Amino acid sequence: MATLQLSALEKRYPNGFTALHGIDLAVEDGELVVIVGPSGCGKSTLLRTLAGLESITAGELAINARRVNDLEPAERDIAMVFQNYALYPHMSVYDNMAYGLKNRGVAKADIRRRVNATAELLDLGALLDRRPRQLSGGQRQRVAMGRAIVREPQVFLFDEPLSNLDAKLRVQMRLEIRRLQKRLGVTAVYVTHDQTEAMTLADRLVVMNAGRVEQCGTPMALYDRPATRFVAGFIGSPAMNFLPVTVRGERLELPDGGELDLATGLDDGAELTLGVRPEHLTTLPDGAAMPASAVALDTRVELIEPLGADTLAYTRLAGLDEPVVARLDGEHAVAEGQTLRLVLTGERLHLFDAEGQRLAERRCAVDVVS
Amino acid sequence: MTHFQRYRVTPWLLMAPQLIIVGVFFFWPSLQAVEQAFYVEDAFGLSRQFAGLANFAAVLHEPDYYQALGTTVVFSLSVALGAMAIALLLAVQADRVIKGANAYKTLLIWPYAVAPAVAGVLWMFLFDPTLGLVSAGLESLGIDWNHNLDGDQALLLVILASVWKQMSYNFVFFLAGLQTIPRSLLEAAAIDGAGPWRRFWTVTFPLLSPTSFFLLVMNGVYACFETFATIDTVTGGGPAGATTTLVYKVYEDGFIGQDLGSSAAQSVLLMILVGLLTLIQFRFVERRVQY
Amino acid sequence: MRYQRPGLDIASHLLLAVGCGLFFLPVWLAFAASTHSMSELSGHVAPLWVGDTGLANYARLIEDPVNSLGTNVLKLLANSLVMALGIAVGKIAISLLAAYAIVFFRFPLRRLCFWLIFITLMLPVEVRIVPTYQVAADLHLLDSYPGLILPLIASATATFLLRQFYLTIPPELVEAARIDGAGPWRFLRDILLPLSKTNIAALFVIMFLYGWNQYLWPLLVTTDADYMTVVVSLKRLLTTGDSPVPWQDVTATAMLAMGPPVLVILLMQRYFVKGLVDSEK
Repeated sequence: MATLQLSALEKRYPNGFTALHGIDLAVEDGELVVIVGPSGCGKSTLLRTLAGLESITAGELAINARRVNDLEPAERDIAMVFQNYALYPHMSVYDNMAYGLKNRGVAKADIRRRVNATAELLDLGALLDRRPRQLSGGQRQRVAMGRAIVREPQVFLFDEPLSNLDAKLRVQMRLEIRRLQKRLGVTAVYVTHDQTEAMTLADRLVVMNAGRVEQCGTPMALYDRPATRFVAGFIGSPAMNFLPVTVRGERLELPDGGELDLATGLDDGAELTLGVRPEHLTTLPDGAAMPASAVALDTRVELIEPLGADTLAYTRLAGLDEPVVARLDGEHAVAEGQTLRLVLTGERLHLFDAEGQRLAERRCAVDVVS
Repeated sequence: MTHFQRYRVTPWLLMAPQLIIVGVFFFWPSLQAVEQAFYVEDAFGLSRQFAGLANFAAVLHEPDYYQALGTTVVFSLSVALGAMAIALLLAVQADRVIKGANAYKTLLIWPYAVAPAVAGVLWMFLFDPTLGLVSAGLESLGIDWNHNLDGDQALLLVILASVWKQMSYNFVFFLAGLQTIPRSLLEAAAIDGAGPWRRFWTVTFPLLSPTSFFLLVMNGVYACFETFATIDTVTGGGPAGATTTLVYKVYEDGFIGQDLGSSAAQSVLLMILVGLLTLIQFRFVERRVQY
Repeated sequence: MRYQRPGLDIASHLLLAVGCGLFFLPVWLAFAASTHSMSELSGHVAPLWVGDTGLANYARLIEDPVNSLGTNVLKLLANSLVMALGIAVGKIAISLLAAYAIVFFRFPLRRLCFWLIFITLMLPVEVRIVPTYQVAADLHLLDSYPGLILPLIASATATFLLRQFYLTIPPELVEAARIDGAGPWRFLRDILLPLSKTNIAALFVIMFLYGWNQYLWPLLVTTDADYMTVVVSLKRLLTTGDSPVPWQDVTATAMLAMGPPVLVILLMQRYFVKGLVDSEK
């Protein structure tokens, strides 16, 4: 039962490298916050400063409104699940889970009761006497979870705990983590580079880039209204298409010369980036009329990836180096090399200025229309 | 960071025992050796005078020093190459036969545990002019063996004893080195039509060269220093200084001759020599020594 | 794939057998001699087979003081054991702690400490023997067990080996332990030492052999027979002036001197090989 408060948290290394530039974040009681971002964005550093494994250069970190900047990891009442599990190789599963309790001076009988209960919860009862090397990857992962749970900490910290598992097990453990966290009602911070994992697990998602928080919100909020071009490109798979566009009065000029009705209120000639997700590009059924205010993109299909339910089409648009990706219905018959007319309506479009910031509503008619 | 950062005193507590011992028994004497090398002391050790480089000059003008240097080079190279050649020959066989390789390892490894002084005694007995089995055999071939009188024979004897003792060290490394060579490489060579002899010289031997270089240095160092015991037991540096190596001379001049200045100067020269050897070795293994 | 030739295999076995035999020969002859009486040995070529005074020879050496030594061989063996164990245990203990500090702590002058310790790899005790003797004399360590042991501990071989091992320990293990509330001493006791067991065993074998087989230093630092080691005593037994060498005593003492280390290496061969090969890295 805990809240977590980060104010202007900063981490600078002795060599001058600044890993975190003033992070502000509040984690509610019982909330699962996922921190996601590309490697090197500072997400692991942030988690490690929360754990007390890295010192804090400036700013404040509070657990339950108590400042913990200078406390040792063990004094913060947190538990951490590591990417490589970090199980003690010479100890049995039981001792691995009991070690932290022993160090805190918990009575032997209590330790036994708590370890057994946790083992029950995680279905580890039969493995308590085994050594870590005698366990499978998934079992080790569960022991690592058990070691965290048995401590009954204020906050759970997860550092990419699923990345060493194979794809199938990863999905299964993802569900299990979510289930356990809800059931135990523990505040948790979870770091991952995998945006699918992030979307599915998070109550709230924090996207980090270059030591800063780009955006923070529910997964759907970030998906629907990415605050920056970076977030837009990071959340969603396949990634959003970006088209460079130029303001022409009440319209936007597309790379292939087409024009889209969209009033921005910006000066003529301003350069913007238009973002559209592959799943929001549609094709026009034969004979159907173009909707008003829509514009057609005439592309050539370069490559298709049939996924079953959907088919991804990687297409080439005149005037653009990057391929435009469209997610089409799996039934849709497309062939590599054919031309494909994609429809860009005024809906579900995202506009970013030259700095990559989302255009504010009042200046962007798109959001008003949709 | 993965370290215990908040502790200021603990690391020093942990380091203290080693630092104290190394300070007292390594740096203090080493610095004293360097200092002493620049002083001349009178016979009773009552007074001493700064002598500059006189001690070094005296050492470097002494014919005995060059004789000892020559002996050291011959001795070290013979021991190193002898021990390595035999070890390689046996290790290759042990690696080939697969079956029983471990048994052979056990049967060949134990001389490493024998003290150099004991090794000296064993070989001395084998070559004893009256009792020795080998010297008796040599006599029947018309060779008169008496290492107490013949300098070359004395040197040969300590070389043999040292090779005998040092072989197992090399054997362990060569066998380990051979066992890390992927079978697939040798199989590929075999498919390419290379016979066993060719396979050894074109595949195995080049792959063993790092091990060989390491062993050459280690054997050289061993022969320089640890064989003191063998030499002292078997020949006492004689006859007529034929088996006096540089280290033996440091001991002889310092403890028996009581010429501390000269002995210290020799120590310093030896330190420089060993330092250079080690530098060469470090340069070579640099990639593997990550600091 | 079978690309080896059976004929070569037989040749290999033959070569190995001859090699093993030749390496064993000097020991066998010495052993055979140690079981004969002095009169049986004098004047003839050494016997190839055991005689019948073996037990008597060994019993006499172990129980009765030997004239030229002033003590019995049992006392010498005990001294050797104290010295070898002292060196092995002492060196491992101080190295464990120093390597722990160097790898798992960050403190000022860490680099300097590293180099101060590792420079000792370069110069064996033989090179600085005279001044080391003077230091030992100044500290009143002559003819004492600490005098036998301490100067030989002043080297970094074990520290270097342990440091190499510590560096392979995943950093997350330290972090997990810190989160579990283990401070530096607890981490050392509960995690690091149990994980280092094999390496410590390997070091123990190497250091025990090193200690037991020392010659020059114990030769210098002990004049009192009460502190003489068995390896050093051989030279005394051989130095007889004009009278004939008592080969039955010399060979028997040599057998006793090589017994314990050979036993250790055979019993702990696995650790020994590992320790030796690791030290190359």
